[in-house]
Amino acid sequence: MSHDEPMRPRVLAIDDSDLVHRLLRARLRHERIDLHSVHTADEGIAAAKKLQPEVILLDIDLEDLDGFEVLARLKADPITRDIAVIFVSASNETMDRVRGLDLGAVDFVGKPFDVGELKARVRSALRMQRLVKMLAQRAQLDGLTGLWNRAYLDDRLEAETASAIRYGNSLSLVLCDLDRFKSLNDSYGHPFGDEVLERTAGILGSGRSPDVACRYGGEEFALIAPGTDLMETMEVADRHRVRISEIQWTDRPGVRISASFGVADLSCISGAPTPEKLIAAADQALYRAKKAGRNQVVAADAQVWPHSATG
Amino acid sequence: MGYADGSGMDQTPETNGTPPLHSIYEDDLDLRDLVIRFVEEMDQRVETIRSAFLSEDVVALQRISHQLKGAAGGYGFDSIGDSAARLEYDLLTDEAMISDLSERVEDLISSCRAAVRPGDS
Repeated sequence: MSHDEPMRPRVLAIDDSDLVHRLLRARLRHERIDLHSVHTADEGIAAAKKLQPEVILLDIDLEDLDGFEVLARLKADPITRDIAVIFVSASNETMDRVRGLDLGAVDFVGKPFDVGELKARVRSALRMQRLVKMLAQRAQLDGLTGLWNRAYLDDRLEAETASAIRYGNSLSLVLCDLDRFKSLNDSYGHPFGDEVLERTAGILGSGRSPDVACRYGGEEFALIAPGTDLMETMEVADRHRVRISEIQWTDRPGVRISASFGVADLSCISGAPTPEKLIAAADQALYRAKKAGRNQVVAADAQVWPHSATG
Repeated sequence: MGYADGSGMDQTPETNGTPPLHSIYEDDLDLRDLVIRFVEEMDQRVETIRSAFLSEDVVALQRISHQLKGAAGGYGFDSIGDSAARLEYDLLTDEAMISDLSERVEDLISSCRAAVRPGDS
């Protein structure tokens, strides 16, 4: 995704009346948003999935399905669940408003709408949406290292596995475990242990841009390498290994730390590939790296590396 | 002047002396063109209301009154929205026959026909 030109927030209006769409377009013309208009519930649900808008303006009285049902379906689908929905309706019934809010709408605008109020409510929903996204992201970050956490790794690995299978791309997973971390902690204290974790995370997190670095457990890290085969990932992992072993500790000049790495890609897996099998394969390789003396990178299929795959 | 049929139908009983309705947004630059279009579509809208009423098509009548209730105010014609709201209310709640609603329907039609295109006078 390009960082220099931020995308304008998308707002989807679902309303069966063209009169309303024209009005919304005129009234929101000067807002920094991309406004998309659809006329039916079916189109609306499809557009919500495809477009992933930040905010939906949803009419209650659609012809094919009422707005409450549309909202319930949006909330039931993980892909559309977090979109902020504002009900727009000519209904003055308090019950309708209560029902809409109970179903998970963030706000309610009466028709005919007051222009200032409409703009303010859309802005407020966009603001809230940004905060919700930020919080959701926070919940997936590791507090100490700032890397993604285990929960994120699980979600992301599942998505990457599905995508790699669908498009026939490579996908590798690296598991990395700091060597003798417990004795480091015992000898130099937990603050030093934390520093080791942070510096290691800094190295793993500043690699190639498609790689996804996560803190997998206490002193264990994971790196998802989309579009990368076993050989290339071995090289990536080895560069990380070297950098970690070269870290200088100003307060503890004599100390050297190291890490062991297990690497697996989809070709190491027998049968249908799953994220669990990929993790298990990388974990087994990591175990062999530890047993073989630590501070090294081992591939899941030890027979395969460093020679090319036999198929 | 200005009526497509040119037959002097603007003096038909349903306008009933309703004073001309001006949009409160006729000088709003963001909205002026939309208001003009809204008024220009009025003849067609009146025709839809009239034929739905004559053919006792409750669903169509309800749909258009609901749409006008929600939208007319947005174009600066609150009184059209109010007439539409009264008609929709009766359609939804009255046990009465659709033919009993002629007064409400005529009321809505005359409000619609009283709408003035911005720039006209």
